[in-house]
Amino acid sequence: MSVLEYLMVLVKTLIYPGVIFVIILSLIYEWVDRKVYARMQNRIGPFYVGPSGFLQPFADFLKLLSKEDIVPPHVDYHVFTLSPIITLYLVLLAMFLIPTGAWNEPYAILAFEGDYILALALTTFITIFSFFAGWSSVNRFGVIGAMRALYQMISYEISMFLCAAAVALDTRTLCLSRMAEVQASGLWYILLHPLGFVVFILSMQAELDKVPFDTPEAKTEIVGGWLTEISGKKLAFFRLASDIKLFFCASLATTLYLAGPWGPLGPNILWFLAKVTFVIILVTTLRAAFARFRIDQVLAVFWKYAIPLSLVQVLIALFIPH
Amino acid sequence: MSLFEIPLGPQHPALKEPIRFIFKLDGEIVVGAEPRLGYVHRGVEKLAETRTFIQDVYLAERICGICSAAHTTCFVQAVEELLGIEPPPRAKYIRLIVFELNRIQSHLLWLGILAYEMGFDTLFMYIWRDRERVLDVLEMITGNRVLYAINQIGGVRHDIDDKIAAYMRKALSYLRERTKYYKGIVERDPTINARAVEVGILKKRDAIALCAVGPTTRGSGVKFDIRADDPYAALDEVPFNVVVYDTEDVMARTLVRIDEILESISMIEYALDHMPSGDIRVRVPRVVPAGEAVSRVEAPRGELVYYVRSAGGEKPERVKVRTPTLANIPALCKMLEGAYVADIPVIVASIDPCLACMDRAIFVDVSKEKVWVWSERELRRYSLRWYRSREGVRRR
Repeated sequence: MSVLEYLMVLVKTLIYPGVIFVIILSLIYEWVDRKVYARMQNRIGPFYVGPSGFLQPFADFLKLLSKEDIVPPHVDYHVFTLSPIITLYLVLLAMFLIPTGAWNEPYAILAFEGDYILALALTTFITIFSFFAGWSSVNRFGVIGAMRALYQMISYEISMFLCAAAVALDTRTLCLSRMAEVQASGLWYILLHPLGFVVFILSMQAELDKVPFDTPEAKTEIVGGWLTEISGKKLAFFRLASDIKLFFCASLATTLYLAGPWGPLGPNILWFLAKVTFVIILVTTLRAAFARFRIDQVLAVFWKYAIPLSLVQVLIALFIPH
Repeated sequence: MSLFEIPLGPQHPALKEPIRFIFKLDGEIVVGAEPRLGYVHRGVEKLAETRTFIQDVYLAERICGICSAAHTTCFVQAVEELLGIEPPPRAKYIRLIVFELNRIQSHLLWLGILAYEMGFDTLFMYIWRDRERVLDVLEMITGNRVLYAINQIGGVRHDIDDKIAAYMRKALSYLRERTKYYKGIVERDPTINARAVEVGILKKRDAIALCAVGPTTRGSGVKFDIRADDPYAALDEVPFNVVVYDTEDVMARTLVRIDEILESISMIEYALDHMPSGDIRVRVPRVVPAGEAVSRVEAPRGELVYYVRSAGGEKPERVKVRTPTLANIPALCKMLEGAYVADIPVIVASIDPCLACMDRAIFVDVSKEKVWVWSERELRRYSLRWYRSREGVRRR
């Protein structure tokens, strides 16, 4: 490879569409989420920092970084301090697997047969590290929140993965970029798998700890759940990680059901961003329209309705191939 | 899993005011709840003895910001009874109107908080936006949004003219429409139903045995409302229904309050139509003759009791206040037994706790290790022995 190609790889991983691009866009999407949520509640939302307050998430992030870094006594020091860093690393890694259509390329930075399985595995690890953070903080609310995160995980992940499996069965590939490409030439999977899309968005809501499934960090019940003892830089990292996770989950839904970056004129980043924005606004709307479920009710929703429905979707994909 | 103790409060996001509970948990289920009160003790009762009756009206108002009309009405009625005077009929109607506006405001505030505790922030924001309309009306009548300062001994301070009445009717019909809409949401929304139906059960017999008051007891099917049982202000002339639901859960208490808002709106409209003309206050002497009086009103949270004793001077000799939240605490502990951790905030909110009003009395902790039953005679004997053994502490 020539020097120019090396440079190009570096630019792609670090700047566009890599780390810096993802971080900036995630923070902007946090603003979209907050603004839409506020407008739905008849509030103004952030409006002070930058035009229409769109720099507010950046300001919040910087403020948290400048706060004192507190490690309470009795915590499991290494797990407690490492889990925010590892979580951030894992979500960033997951974003590399998503075909964004940057530079009009159809494939993601990291695209190989089987990256689909890696992407789903990473979502599990992210939740497990939030459990570690809560558990290692030795705070009563933290421990309860951590336990709830795990309880919840063993329900929504199953329905989420089954819906994703139905798409993989239909497209006959385990590469996310290929999945998006297959849809470009045919119908989008939101039309072929409408049931799967609905259940996937529902499970995503739980994956992202959003109302009505925000039991692990239910603030009126258990203060901050697994986040209770996390403050300062660690909180900044976890919040950034959760923003990127929102971006990642929305782009996963886009890739699986909305043909990723593909539009009428080939792969393009603008198509991708428009679709991701649509999914995020969908998530925000759901968040504004419901009250919080109890943890036992969360499990009931998924085991009684979501998982059977996703199994139906798998059967449909098995017997009626497109 | 062994029993796990979890503290709630004095500072907690679900609590707007300080109180502490220690919950014993078995997994996610509450086995026992122990309250600890007294974090906002302000010595109001002692302070009342050092001020004149007229000053005490304003002190009573500051016991609670949310039900300030209830406190002043109750105190003023007790003093009027001591003086042996009757306020003019128009003053009674104005008192009733402000009182019921106060109830609407308080119930809407509570409904918003309940939605917030359930994690339903959208409903919370909408309800609080509509609550502003009631506050506007109250501001128009009295000049204040929170501490109305409308009641005085012998009548009220401000009249309601036609302009205010017209504005009020408009606001009330808007509120009626909105309240009906919110009732529909509460009844139909699946997530609210999941969090409120069959949660925080208070059986009818427990509600009676533990002396619960207000919407808490009316949600358990007990028809107990001071407005009907012991009418005050102009309540004997204004028709209304006592709202009772008998499903004994948080949903019942919610619906009781929503229906009470609708009842209050009709009451105010009736009162505006039938308001007699005339003076709004009578002149009263500053010196109150010796004697004692008890006054009760149905505050938004339940029965509020004032006891006032005068030794024949400008200042009261003793003022005792019993607020509804205090009466509901034993019932609250009963409701919490067997609940899920996730239901704690909703159940605590369901009695509409107003802790700053409550913290005046001194509480004695009874050791939980020993359980014994005392008959009335044994209790009396114990108390006599207790007083005899402590020379310095003697009942006056």
